[in-house]
Amino acid sequence: MRVNPNPYPDLLAAVNQTQLQIDIDEQQITTGLSVNVPSDNPAAAAVLVQNADQTSQADQFQRSIGGIQGEIQNADAALNSVTAALQQAISLGVEGANGTVNTSDRAALVTQVQGIQSQLLNLANLSYQGNYVFAGTATQTAPYALDPSSSSGVSYQGNSGTNSVTLGNHFALQTNLPGSQLFSASGNDMFQSIQDLITSLESGTGIGTAVTEVSNSLNYVDGQRVFYGNALNQLTAQQTYLSSETTELAQQQNTVGGADLTTVISNLTNSQTSLQATLEAVGQTARIDLFDYLK
Amino acid sequence: MSSLNASLAIALSGLDAEQGAMAATTNNVANANTPGYSREVPILASSDPVVVDPLTFGTGVTLQSVESIRDPILESRIQQETQTQGQLGSLVSALQQTQVNFTGKTGDIGSAITSFFDSINQLSTNPSDLSLRQGVLTAASNLATAFNSTANNLTAQDQSLDQSVIQSVGQINTLTQQIAQLNGQISDLENVGEDAGSFIDQRTQAIDQLSSLVDVSVIPSDNTLTLTTANGTPLVTGQQSFQLQTQTSASGLHGVYSQGNDITSSIVSGQLGGEIAARDRQIPAIQTQVDTLAAGLANAVNTVQTGGFDLNGNTGADLFTLPPAGGTGAAAGLSVAINNPALIAASSDGTVGSNGNAEAMYALNSQPLISGQSPTDYYSGIVFNVGNATANATAEQNASSLVLQQLNDQRSTISGVSLDEEAANLVQYQQAYSASAQVITAINDMMYAVINMTTLTG
Repeated sequence: MRVNPNPYPDLLAAVNQTQLQIDIDEQQITTGLSVNVPSDNPAAAAVLVQNADQTSQADQFQRSIGGIQGEIQNADAALNSVTAALQQAISLGVEGANGTVNTSDRAALVTQVQGIQSQLLNLANLSYQGNYVFAGTATQTAPYALDPSSSSGVSYQGNSGTNSVTLGNHFALQTNLPGSQLFSASGNDMFQSIQDLITSLESGTGIGTAVTEVSNSLNYVDGQRVFYGNALNQLTAQQTYLSSETTELAQQQNTVGGADLTTVISNLTNSQTSLQATLEAVGQTARIDLFDYLK
Repeated sequence: MSSLNASLAIALSGLDAEQGAMAATTNNVANANTPGYSREVPILASSDPVVVDPLTFGTGVTLQSVESIRDPILESRIQQETQTQGQLGSLVSALQQTQVNFTGKTGDIGSAITSFFDSINQLSTNPSDLSLRQGVLTAASNLATAFNSTANNLTAQDQSLDQSVIQSVGQINTLTQQIAQLNGQISDLENVGEDAGSFIDQRTQAIDQLSSLVDVSVIPSDNTLTLTTANGTPLVTGQQSFQLQTQTSASGLHGVYSQGNDITSSIVSGQLGGEIAARDRQIPAIQTQVDTLAAGLANAVNTVQTGGFDLNGNTGADLFTLPPAGGTGAAAGLSVAINNPALIAASSDGTVGSNGNAEAMYALNSQPLISGQSPTDYYSGIVFNVGNATANATAEQNASSLVLQQLNDQRSTISGVSLDEEAANLVQYQQAYSASAQVITAINDMMYAVINMTTLTG
């Protein structure tokens, strides 16, 4: 049988093939990735697109939570101050209801309760990063304004709107309660109760009833404040969830698209050995033929 | 009855024949590395004998012919595989350039979509904040740029493939002209009974080159051959070649014409076939998907935007310029239609602090907007398609390379020049030549003896 007298093209093809494999291995080692272009592994490349999207979303949710947390913490702190102020108003009312208090003492108490009233007005008009927190979605208008024509002494300028923000793939959180629900709910109007306390202290009659009214307002606001406490807890829980999701996504990214360096380096060593062997083979096949012996 | 002169003639025929054989061997050695060269074998035959009753005498040797050793069926397999190889070569190189647009790096469409929705989520936390609104506008503009540059890259690639098509057609025309000329030379030689081996080798080589460019069918006939494309368009008939032309078609790209007929879509093989496949099918298919994504996303965002209220309490206006109906060109033409951040319709009720519409816009992120898929899922589908097309073509190319390599090995086994073989032949012919020369010396001696004998008697 005649054999192929020219083995060089095959040897060159083998050298090329090995060199190509070495290039691929070296690229994987340099980038740390097994998928550098979609054709390296089309299915993995598609998964990596979604993985990058989800990772970026999770990071964004964390940033959004950071933004919302500040507002909710401020709202919660403000409500804490509101309850403290109402507590103080109750003490003043109880003091005024005592039979030994004279008119001028009561006038002094009225002044103090009026101070609390304006403190409550400031708290209800809490602004955070340029937005009124308790104005519903009318965040550019101070929700409470002094209004002598109103029986409660103030009028509500906000609306009853609430916002929800998506903070996870299946998680959206309501981020605010409007003042109309917190402070001026029908039957639980905080400003009305304070105004009633002032009126009763001025007149000296019905102070007990007014104190009960303020006390009811306190309980009501305290009850509403649970919303913000819950929201903060949920935010913390979601932060924990998102950071574990980020870790999982990073793991998935590494499993799907990361280079298995141990294998790659071992492959590279093999390829280099094989390249060397092929090149030596080329060297040794260096043309020796019958002509060399016909002298 | 024999004679010394007859013997001398026989010896001379030996010298001639061995010289001829030597020439064939020398030619083989000289062409040992010539691509496409088929080794030549001298065909020696004993000359017709003379019958001098009752004896029959041989009259020496003739060099009947010098034959090139080749396997026509193998040659045709090589040509076919070369066509496949050419087609896959240009396709793979085109797709590799295409997939660079979809590598998931910052600034590609996928990451721009993600960033756009991220900016809306951020806006949702504080919908009246102008810097967050500006963030959405910037992200929308980056998204438009990502679509623009991908679409433009694909178009530019199509245009450069179009130039390659023109060049390939030029090369095909040069080769068919050469082949027609070689056909003439071969039939001239063969008509007078000469061996046209080296011209045939040149022609085979030219057909191999032509095969790497376009699908060629070879129809051999007496002393010549006819070449057509796979669908029967004539390229060469005998000594006449038929030039292909390129003409700009409605799309602005060049079609391939033969004698006035558009044969573009019938060319499926060879480098030209690959270029046409990439230019007219693969890249436009990707372009269409990118357009579908751009149009679907822009329309959905616009719908939500116009269903909400901007910071001034007015009904929202389109965020993106309206994509063309049908979507063609949507990616290349995508741009942001508003430049005032206050005009983003984040509010669902007209109040400044409402984020209801921003949330609705963010929700588009996970809605089946485009062919039943979310924008990111659809985009990851494009990445898969591009990667898969490239990976498949590359795998086919590797397989075809192996087949072609084996076929060439086989060809080399049959037709390649072995220097060992030639050295052995050389020794053989040299010895036979020397022997014939010795015979002549012997006859000379014998003649001398005869002549001297005459002198003695005379």
